[in-house]
Amino acid sequence: MSAILFVILIPILLHLMLTTLMKNVFINSLDNIPYETWAFPGVILLICIMSAYAVLYRDLFDLRIHKKSFISITLAPYTKFYLVFGFLLSAIIESLIYGVLSMIILSLLLSQQLELHAYFAIPVYGSIFLLLFGNLTLTLSILTERITTFISITIILFFFMIFGTGILFEFEFYPRMLGMILSYNPFSLIISELRGLVFLKQINWVWIVIPVLTGLGWTWINGLLIKRSLKQ
Amino acid sequence: MEASITLKKVGKLVGDKTILANLTFGIEKGSLVAIIGDNEAGKSMLLRVIAGIEYQEYGQIFINGLDSQKRRNEAMLSVGFVPHELDLDPWLTLEENIRFIGMLYRESMETINTRMVQLSRELHITTFLQKMVKDISPGIIKKGMIIRALIHNPDILILDDPTAFMDAESYRQTWDMLLRYKKEKTIVYVSQSLQEVEEAHDRILVLEDGKIALDGSLDRLLGSTFEYHQFQIEFEELSDELFNKLAKLPKVKNPSRIGDSIHFYGQQRGVFFEVLNAAASSVMKDIRVKKLGLQDLMDAKYAKDGIH
Repeated sequence: MSAILFVILIPILLHLMLTTLMKNVFINSLDNIPYETWAFPGVILLICIMSAYAVLYRDLFDLRIHKKSFISITLAPYTKFYLVFGFLLSAIIESLIYGVLSMIILSLLLSQQLELHAYFAIPVYGSIFLLLFGNLTLTLSILTERITTFISITIILFFFMIFGTGILFEFEFYPRMLGMILSYNPFSLIISELRGLVFLKQINWVWIVIPVLTGLGWTWINGLLIKRSLKQ
Repeated sequence: MEASITLKKVGKLVGDKTILANLTFGIEKGSLVAIIGDNEAGKSMLLRVIAGIEYQEYGQIFINGLDSQKRRNEAMLSVGFVPHELDLDPWLTLEENIRFIGMLYRESMETINTRMVQLSRELHITTFLQKMVKDISPGIIKKGMIIRALIHNPDILILDDPTAFMDAESYRQTWDMLLRYKKEKTIVYVSQSLQEVEEAHDRILVLEDGKIALDGSLDRLLGSTFEYHQFQIEFEELSDELFNKLAKLPKVKNPSRIGDSIHFYGQQRGVFFEVLNAAASSVMKDIRVKKLGLQDLMDAKYAKDGIH
């Protein structure tokens, strides 16, 4: 029941809160795309990260610190990289399912429909974005032992995801230097590339490969961190 | 006999505190080994280190001849572990919890289901398999944890307080099952219940400050330490003269006096009759004879000082 509410209500609420409000402030993007349409991929990714965050919090923090069932899982005959990658993959798949369902619901509310290729590009690029975000959540889950620390850092990360990745706001509105620095972080690169493909039909493979390699490297580092944290 | 688990100079530190110190011993295949000791003696840590949950800072552990650190993945296939605390995922059913671990060990679904049904029948928890763990009592969850540890059919079963949270009936069912597996599996467990250890063991390891203080079967431990009986005679009036007379009998050990009662130890029951003869002229109200057990062994006074 809560899952159905999550799938239906969250996209609608986000749409109402963000796009209907913000489109009065930002009417069009700098590429002259209506804000509501421009923000659409970002809103879907936002829904995906909410889902991934909940899944990874449960698996790597709650089940490790509170319920302890994570320990039994680590006894299985797999390397820690394999385990971390398994957790990430399941979180990405689960979140993409939420994302696709939200995309279907939100597309009904859009005044200007996206082209068909956009609906395929969002899940593909979304999975790279989720690989990065999942690793960020994993690192946080592994390195913190207390729920208070976890929540405090989560709030900071939430603001970073909203304002520091270009998910809802263009970096051109930021001070030039800050906007430039933020635009080169792997999260921003993949969102920027997604919008490039959806709205301009452009692909820059270098900016796609960098986030992918960053995500895989980060997964390997998380494997080492979990090994160190568990003292195994 | 072939060794199932071998520890060579194993040491474990937590911060700068030594929890396990230079432990060297082997556990034979198919044996039932109980580990006892005071709180903070290092019992649970020893199990965690053997089970591969935490690495040891010093020494080596071999599981069926495989170095548990260098060939961890292969070694861990032979081990099933049941921790002390309840650690099943509360938001899954008992069955889902068990099945998930079985799948992680690459067992086929058919094998998992067959084993799960068989083990849950043996432990009488078939009706709970479909229930969410959050809705099940701790004793049943503990049984579920034992099934989870056995689902990949390990050679070695490591249990931290296996019957914790269980009622008398569950306790009996669990030990009935574990004793049936005894010959085909090596079982190592920690228990706070000395009665449980007295009833189920081939060998007892007594841990003290991270070191093995005593090692052997109960009979052997009691025999090597003190094969004594404990006697108590309550008189109507125990005079100093009578107490001194009885205390000086050659076979009477560690005599003490509580009110009008004399309390002493003796190696054979015969000493009791010698005391009775010596005290025949006095009026006796009560007599008690008790063979020493694990509780007495664990009593710090006797474990450390012995009976002189």
